[in-house]
Amino acid sequence: MTPSEALLSTRGLTVKYPYGDVQNVVIDELDLDLYPGQIVGLLGESGSGKSSLALALMGLARHPGVVSGEVNFRGKNLLKMDDEELRQIRGNSIGLITQKPRQALDPLVNVGKQISRVYRAHSHASKADAQVRAIELLRSVGINDAERRVNAFPHELSGGMAQRALISMALSVEPDLLIADEPTSGLDVTIQAQFLDRMWERARDANIAVLIVTQDLGIVANYCDRIVIMEDGKIIEDRITTEFFADPHTAYGKKLILASGAGTKSSNADVAITTTPEILRVTDLRKTFEVEGGKRLQAVSKASFQIHKGRSLGLVGESGSGKTTVGRLILRLADPDSGEVWFKGERIDSISPKEFRKYRSKIQAVFQDPFDSLNPRWPIERVIREPLDLHTEMSKAEKGARVRELVSLVGLTDDILPLRPGSLSAGQQQRVSLARALATEPEFLILDEPTSALPPAARADMILLLKSLQERLDLCFIFISHDLSTVRELCHDIAVMYLSEIVEMGTSEQVFSAPSHPYTRALLDSVLFHDPSSRRVDRTVKAELEGEIPSPVDLPAGCYLAARCPMAEQRCRDDHQALIEIGPSRSVRCWKSVEASK
Amino acid sequence: MRRYVLRRLAVGVLQALGITIAVFFVIRALPADPVSRIVGMNPTEDSIRQARHALGLDMSLFQQLLTFLGFHGNGVFTGSLGTSWVSGSTVLSEIAITLPTTIQLIITSFIVALLVAIPIGMATARRPGGKLDKGVFGYGLFAGAQPEFWWGLIFIFVFYFKMGIAPAPLGMLDPMLTAPDAVTNFVLIDSLIAGDFTAFKSALGHLVLPVLTLSFLLVGPLLKMTQQSMSRVLSSEFILYQQASGLEKKSIGRSTLRSALAPIITLTGILFGFMLSGAVLVESVFSLNGLGQYAVAAVLNLDFPAVQGVILVISVISLFVYLGLDLLLAKIDPRILVK
Ligand SMILES: Nc1ncnc2c1ncn2[C@@H]1O[C@H](COP(=O)(O)OP(=O)(O)OP(=O)(O)O)[C@@H](O)[C@H]1O
Ligand code: SF4
Ligand SMILES: [Mg+2]
Repeated sequence: MTPSEALLSTRGLTVKYPYGDVQNVVIDELDLDLYPGQIVGLLGESGSGKSSLALALMGLARHPGVVSGEVNFRGKNLLKMDDEELRQIRGNSIGLITQKPRQALDPLVNVGKQISRVYRAHSHASKADAQVRAIELLRSVGINDAERRVNAFPHELSGGMAQRALISMALSVEPDLLIADEPTSGLDVTIQAQFLDRMWERARDANIAVLIVTQDLGIVANYCDRIVIMEDGKIIEDRITTEFFADPHTAYGKKLILASGAGTKSSNADVAITTTPEILRVTDLRKTFEVEGGKRLQAVSKASFQIHKGRSLGLVGESGSGKTTVGRLILRLADPDSGEVWFKGERIDSISPKEFRKYRSKIQAVFQDPFDSLNPRWPIERVIREPLDLHTEMSKAEKGARVRELVSLVGLTDDILPLRPGSLSAGQQQRVSLARALATEPEFLILDEPTSALPPAARADMILLLKSLQERLDLCFIFISHDLSTVRELCHDIAVMYLSEIVEMGTSEQVFSAPSHPYTRALLDSVLFHDPSSRRVDRTVKAELEGEIPSPVDLPAGCYLAARCPMAEQRCRDDHQALIEIGPSRSVRCWKSVEASK
Repeated sequence: MRRYVLRRLAVGVLQALGITIAVFFVIRALPADPVSRIVGMNPTEDSIRQARHALGLDMSLFQQLLTFLGFHGNGVFTGSLGTSWVSGSTVLSEIAITLPTTIQLIITSFIVALLVAIPIGMATARRPGGKLDKGVFGYGLFAGAQPEFWWGLIFIFVFYFKMGIAPAPLGMLDPMLTAPDAVTNFVLIDSLIAGDFTAFKSALGHLVLPVLTLSFLLVGPLLKMTQQSMSRVLSSEFILYQQASGLEKKSIGRSTLRSALAPIITLTGILFGFMLSGAVLVESVFSLNGLGQYAVAAVLNLDFPAVQGVILVISVISLFVYLGLDLLLAKIDPRILVK
């Protein structure tokens, strides 16, 4: 394709933010061409200028930024157009889906009005017609009860619903160019897959040009024809996707590929039955929370599993499925309503917090947001030393040596010791959290989404680190994540959670190679592997779920998946399902799957 | 909604009463004796005893409180705030004269201040570092550096003394004019009721400098708040999204203002409550017989009933102002629940 065929092309595009008297240049003389029918994935570390570029393509910048250079849309420079001409292009010929759906809606105005305002800005529809249209649109993106929802204010919608509303607005006008800034970052994987499939089809059918900003190489591999990588406001790599995956040119690109290359194979696929001693056992754990209106929200129900020395259990499921709560119950950060937690043969759920303190050095945790869990006023040295002070009788010199040992263990160098957490990158902060957790040589770790808040390269590094530590230290841990490819790499066993219940359990090998429960199958099918030769869009049969996840407050009587499950029958809606063993260390909560396995 | 208003009123009235009772005890604990002011020099034992009795100060504190509240005849609960020890007229009637003067001054000042602060705040938020923004910065340094009465004096010097375009800073009306019949005690309104346009014009003229002085100072915080609030909204995700959706400028402008309004309203309420008694210096510079002046005189004269009355009235007015503003906020922002 030549630049003359481009739908949109920028020349010398620059975005600056005035910072007092200094100009902060975030997009630096950038040239980019976008073609009809082509889906382009835009990658880069956070702060590299991806979102600024996405906006600048519409001639916009975050207040008080300034856009300069050329943005030629169909040969005409957007930056030179008058207000009215520009207004007609925005939201009409160029659609935008932003990263934060809920914040993109005006909190003071109901959703219906906002949709119809946009509609009326580009048509001569009356208010009443626009309202009807708004209801139609909401219904078309699968929001049930659209007549009522149209009067809802943004804060009354879930993030997913707000995202759907925005998507419906962007697609409703049939744009020629769709700019999507991390459109699925807040969505659950099964819903992300629904959306991306739909966007892909639209781009193909209507010959739309799409620019999709993402941190997820899986999205690029599965949906994008071309990949553009940014660094410091410049494009450092602009390639056809398949060529990039075969041979990345830049160091950054190589790192991404290297880290994800392992993503298709698991080294933990071996031994199903284990003879090592049991470290942790959880039986029938249940936790509910009181919510507004005196109702109870069921966060965890009937959770039972055990973990043996040297093994790791991956806890996967979509947001709100109760993964974090399970971890918190084990750590005694919350008290279960019922059920038992045993650590090396001793019951720890009913002991007093004071008694539990002696287990603290044996059971450690790393959480999702590294910065939240580090005291910002302490130097790193003290952060890592703290557990040694609390739980050991080491001398000063021993502690110092141990801290340095830990720092190198997690791949950092001594020179960070005097720094404060705020001056470290997210990846480094997370390594510090890990070093602190490992300080007392715990026998058991809970890793709750330790990689989710990290940018792609740092995430990849973290996974490699965990993998090597696992081998070197023979760690025993629960790894909580919604990212299945990571779990597959790190965990021997898997428990899949859906709406507070474990619906399937088995070894990684068993679950990944032959998922049994319909939910697991849909979940696995929505995983976007980092491999452009096996794209989701090329698969003919997809395991899909319909609609939204029900509220954990009003749970259905029968199988919790019944409303979304393609295989559901009357019996599913009537009978609550039990977790039934279907093989050695393998069980599933679905009567149909049980029958099929016989 | 109605239950919310009633509950707020009930709580507010209790608070106002609580504050007043606290003040009741605090002024009586002061090491100053109001009786000595009343009986004059060289009083006899007898006249002192008589005066104490007349003022009710010979009763126990608790009995005094009960009297004040109206358990022995007229009091707060029967709608009376007692009689001033200095003038002998009822406190209520004196407040009825001084309060409107102050309210008239404050409300006009707020209108002027908001009309200046909001547009300028919006414009400078849009173009930070522009000429207007620099001007505003200069004003901030300048205006904040001097107390309000000083500005009042400067304005008098410039506009009355030097340029002669403002009337003499002596009260609400030209001394040559007869005041219109007092109906509401708001001179502007009374003169209109009486159809006396000369008086109306004179009253307006006399308001110009005090209002200029007060609003000159009010503009500062209001402008700053507008700027902050506007730039927060301007850099918000949804304004960006509205631009990206190709909405018209006017429509985006309206959304921006509406979202930026809440903190400005809250600040207005706080400043209003403060100004009820805080305008006293401006009142005295311009010889306006307002509530602030009255309150200061009452304290200096140890006129206990007047002090208690003023505090109670100010608390009750603040209560209504805050309630009104909260209802307004709830109307603007659906996330604020009024239940
Ligand atoms: N303190 C709490 N009060 C009320 N509800 C809670 C509380 N903590 C968790 N929940 C609810 O419990 C359910 C399970 O939450 P949890 O955080 O364990 O899910 P998760 O699988 O870790 O989700 P995510 O991937 O988003 O972190 C959710 O519906 C959540 O809203
Ligand atoms: S029990 Fe029925 S509804 Fe539930 S997962 Fe199995 S087939 Fe689907
Ligand atoms: Mg979680």
